Amino acid sequence: MQRPINLILSVTLMLACASGVADGRPAGNPASAAAGQGKWQGREWTKYPLLTPMMGRGGDRAVAKLAVKNLQPAELEVFAAEGPVDRLRRQIPVTPEGTQIEAVTPKIGNYHWVSAREEAEGKVTVASTTYFFGNPGAAPTALLLKPKYELEIIPQPLPREHGAYRESDKWKFLLRFNGQPLANKELKLETEFGTKTAFTSDAQGMVTVLFPLDFKPADPAKAHDHHMGPRKGKFVLAAEHDEGGTHYLTAFNYAYSPDATTGKNLLAGAGFGVFGMLLAAPLLRRKKANNKNSVKGA
Amino acid sequence: MFKSIFPTLGRFRLFIQIAMLLLTVYGSNVVGFYMAEKISNALPALSCAFDQQNGSYCVLIPTQHQLHHRVGEALVKAQQFTFQMVLPLLFTLLTFFTFFVVLSKVFCGWICPLGTIQELINKLGRRLNLPLRRFEDGSVSKVRPVKWLVLIVLVLALPLLAGLGVTPHATGDAYCQVCPSRLATTLLTANTEQLAIRTGSTLDFVFGAIANTLFGFILVAALAVRQPFCRICPMLSFNATFQRLSPMRLVKKQHDKCDKCGICAKACPMDIHEIAREHGSKAFHEDCTLCGRCVEFCPDDDVIQMKWGPIALFSSSREYYKRRMKGEMPDGTIKAAAVSRKPESGVENA
Repeated sequence: MQRPINLILSVTLMLACASGVADGRPAGNPASAAAGQGKWQGREWTKYPLLTPMMGRGGDRAVAKLAVKNLQPAELEVFAAEGPVDRLRRQIPVTPEGTQIEAVTPKIGNYHWVSAREEAEGKVTVASTTYFFGNPGAAPTALLLKPKYELEIIPQPLPREHGAYRESDKWKFLLRFNGQPLANKELKLETEFGTKTAFTSDAQGMVTVLFPLDFKPADPAKAHDHHMGPRKGKFVLAAEHDEGGTHYLTAFNYAYSPDATTGKNLLAGAGFGVFGMLLAAPLLRRKKANNKNSVKGA
Repeated sequence: MFKSIFPTLGRFRLFIQIAMLLLTVYGSNVVGFYMAEKISNALPALSCAFDQQNGSYCVLIPTQHQLHHRVGEALVKAQQFTFQMVLPLLFTLLTFFTFFVVLSKVFCGWICPLGTIQELINKLGRRLNLPLRRFEDGSVSKVRPVKWLVLIVLVLALPLLAGLGVTPHATGDAYCQVCPSRLATTLLTANTEQLAIRTGSTLDFVFGAIANTLFGFILVAALAVRQPFCRICPMLSFNATFQRLSPMRLVKKQHDKCDKCGICAKACPMDIHEIAREHGSKAFHEDCTLCGRCVEFCPDDDVIQMKWGPIALFSSSREYYKRRMKGEMPDGTIKAAAVSRKPESGVENA
């Protein structure tokens, strides 16, 4: 049995598993999925600046297009975690039809930090987001902590590849100014479904954000196709700070998903688990003593 | 010093298993949070990516993912399958083989978290004096093809067909949908999300029902049957496909006493009866998980060995066998309990 099957499977498995190792993760940004999923698309749900992925990348996993809202920057800055030195921090001119960004190289680099900065009349405004390209690449820990602008909201950590911010989850963010933690500062959260709330940073500048339960009921026809990715909603976190006569505003926007229990039934799951246990229960009974291998007196 | 801490290979393996269980289930707290920080995203063991605290990813996840999203979709679009595409795949293949070539199916017998969980449950069964059921020669040969069927259908064919658009997207990770390790490892992190069944579509519900029923069955069956899921696990067949490529292997010499003895077969948690009657490469069976119990319980010097290339890592010996038998019977029965249970006759046929 083993050898013929081995022969048939070897090449298939080697290729399949190798390609999996190369890129065993979904491409794209959670926020890009959000771009086309909500009825709320196009509606002004926040006054804070946003960088939102636009749908349609033409199948190219190393390219994405971002739209800038509530801000008029001249360029986007794209930060990569690794790659050629001259491409670790790139400036891309903003275009009205959407600004195209690329992975640090076509085959390397997953998490990228994208920002837009505008300075005018004693006010500095920064919008930031992250974009995940489906390439192998370094973890974003150092990329996130690297100082980029004056006032910053830094995810600690970002959801990993198969994870997501979700309703009723708590996630931490670091608030800092010129590289120093900002204590007792208000961080505002706004979601595309209408929630507006605020949280306060602790002495280390850390803010624990509780994502609200505010997703609207999904279109029944699309609600449960989790294989196309979970539903996404947009959110923005914003903080403001005055220093040296300048007003600083920074915003970080990304996507979040419905609560983990949405569309699931725990009771049914436990029920089938118990059913399986009952099916196996006869295995625990001792056989009659007339079996020569059975235990006498058991 | 080492021998005083680990007097037997079994004790050493249990230590490794517990350490690997902690690493594969909770390891992100040590190795890092993001995928790039994992030990590997192609580990030859059921280290589940649905567990948000794990330290590595099972190779079956990217395998299904690639067949679904890359190979299947590329075939649909009739895109060119160029050397440029294959080359990075060949490089990354080395990642998998870096692990596999060194340790081979040790990943099954020493590292897989689900294997360890089943083994611990069976130890509990022995402690509780529950009957032990074994697969006899005839019945075990009926079970063995199932693992190949699971690999071919759930890991390879259905994800590929999903990518081709033939089967629903829900079959794109068909094996993960029914994998008991997904439930076991997430529940160990106090996360009940995976235990809950999706109710949105009939197919999702059916997958969930099968997964949970299988999980419940294994939890209880493991009290009486050694390694019940391993026998149909696609990771075992996946690893069996490559087992001859690794220098890590089981070696058995021909010996006159073997036909009458058979203790090694009794010790085998996978009920590989061939280990008692075969020798040479045939003794290293496709179901072998390289746990080493047959080597431990072989009463003759150097008849069975675990070898890495020319290096004998562990060899059977009369002296070791006597020491090993003081604490445990070949079938795993604890000696103290065995006294009252007549352990040699305490085994029932499955």
